[in-house]
Amino acid sequence: MQSQIKHIHQQLISKQISCVDLVQQRLDLLKQNSHGSVNALLDANALKQAQAVDTKIANGENIGLLEGIPFGVKDVFMLQGTFTTASSDFLKQYKSAYTASAIQKLIDAGAIPIVKENCDSFGHGSSNENSIFGPVNNAKDSALVAGGSSGGSAVNVAKDYTVFSIGGDTGGSVRQPAGYNGVYGLKPTYGRISRYGLMAYASSTDCVGPLAKSVEDIRIVLNTISGKDVKDQTTYESAPINEAGLADTGSVKTVGYFKNLLENDAMDASIKADFMATLEKLKAKGIEVKPLDFIDAEALISTYYILAMAETASNLSRLDGTNYGNRIEAENLIESYAVTRSENFSEESKRRIVGGNQVLSQGFSDAIYLKSLAVRDKLSADFEGFFNDVDIVLSPVTPGLPPKVGDGLKDPMAMYLSDAFTVGFSLGQLPTLTVPHGTATGIQITAAKTDDERVLQFAHLLEETL
Amino acid sequence: MPQGNEITMNKTMTVDVLSSIKGAKPSETINKLFEVIKNSDLSTTGSSGNNNQNAVPIEQLREDMVVQASDLEKQLIVENFPQEKNGYLVVAKVIEA
Repeated sequence: MQSQIKHIHQQLISKQISCVDLVQQRLDLLKQNSHGSVNALLDANALKQAQAVDTKIANGENIGLLEGIPFGVKDVFMLQGTFTTASSDFLKQYKSAYTASAIQKLIDAGAIPIVKENCDSFGHGSSNENSIFGPVNNAKDSALVAGGSSGGSAVNVAKDYTVFSIGGDTGGSVRQPAGYNGVYGLKPTYGRISRYGLMAYASSTDCVGPLAKSVEDIRIVLNTISGKDVKDQTTYESAPINEAGLADTGSVKTVGYFKNLLENDAMDASIKADFMATLEKLKAKGIEVKPLDFIDAEALISTYYILAMAETASNLSRLDGTNYGNRIEAENLIESYAVTRSENFSEESKRRIVGGNQVLSQGFSDAIYLKSLAVRDKLSADFEGFFNDVDIVLSPVTPGLPPKVGDGLKDPMAMYLSDAFTVGFSLGQLPTLTVPHGTATGIQITAAKTDDERVLQFAHLLEETL
Repeated sequence: MPQGNEITMNKTMTVDVLSSIKGAKPSETINKLFEVIKNSDLSTTGSSGNNNQNAVPIEQLREDMVVQASDLEKQLIVENFPQEKNGYLVVAKVIEA
């Protein structure tokens, strides 16, 4: 698909549409909230910004490529003066005091935030059913889940309610809903985009990620929000990715895939067959395809969830109702903390906080937490080895098809296992893109650390091949 | 003979106390994840043991300086106070009588 951003930009500068009409149309669609993807509309400010863009155009001034483009923001990003709820009871009345760096860069480029989007509470979920705003319905079939945790963002892009959306990906939260709803979703290399102003889930894998309908739009947004930020010391300086460079698809000679993960019992037969057929098409184009030995799915999932739970238990310990949030008074301070946290966190968030505190406690930490850290180090070393042998690793996005709404929360273990293909790349801090082709829930393209450009290059090649 | 505070420190803390969540109990699902790692014979040989891959070198640390928040930011922080009196945050008594 062609770039929506460039198409709309042309419409604006040729005065085929006004920015106010464009934004109003999208707001009208979002207002219906047909798929439960909306937590809050940002209509007043959005229309004011749109009017300013129209005035510039009327005055004959040039506008930037992103100027006047309406976009969505997952409701875990700070945007000054707006409610930022994390889809939780705890923060349902919380107003951002400042704006996240990534969102600020988009606003500085003239893009217009129009909606705070539904998500799993604090990013805790893979179905977008763990939300005080209710579940988000899949864009292709409303009886199915949207996926999570950035489910609202994926659906808004898929339904053309937003031109692009900004999600957060800790273990697959951009890539999996992108796959379920048929859009592109990028988890960049860890540190490429500042996390400042993104509510922390698991800080060592948290990434900001764009969702859009074309590789080109992903590239445009990625270039705008990347870069070093003194407010997030894990960020690094990165060169912009040029559009012309993406056409150079000849640099990929060898592709790897995780054979053992495909042989897992939980693997859907049609996804496996479609994925293998994709590999055959690549072979026919002269690309060498190599099977890689990877850690088994259960150990991978366990490692990820143990580390993510430990980090979220630590990050969410700040939520006690003292300085902000929905405080519930009790007879003393300790009781107030406990009642506030008990009443305001969802069952899934409590499960993860408790699990995290368990693994960090005496008697558990050596056998479980430190062992998981060692596995992660080994995994990172394995990835380095893989990328000495192959240029790209391909994998399905999910082992199965999206479940029905209502089924996701019934079986937490099934939900965790559905992340088998996404969490490894999170632990490795690698750049990974979901493309909505190849299998019913898409294909993931992964390259070595900081080689986000190669991921986008290969996405072009894959589109030509499929 | 141990002092009083040592006895307190050595007490096993239950997960509800550790998590400040009333009635919290370990989850069977999560325990299964623990068992996988505990019982697995995962070869971590060759692991660097370097868990500081994102550590920032000292020379790249940002300046330790105070940046004043804007008036709007300060106003929003006050608006978020769960309980406020004369512009100050009201908290429960920390030391009980």
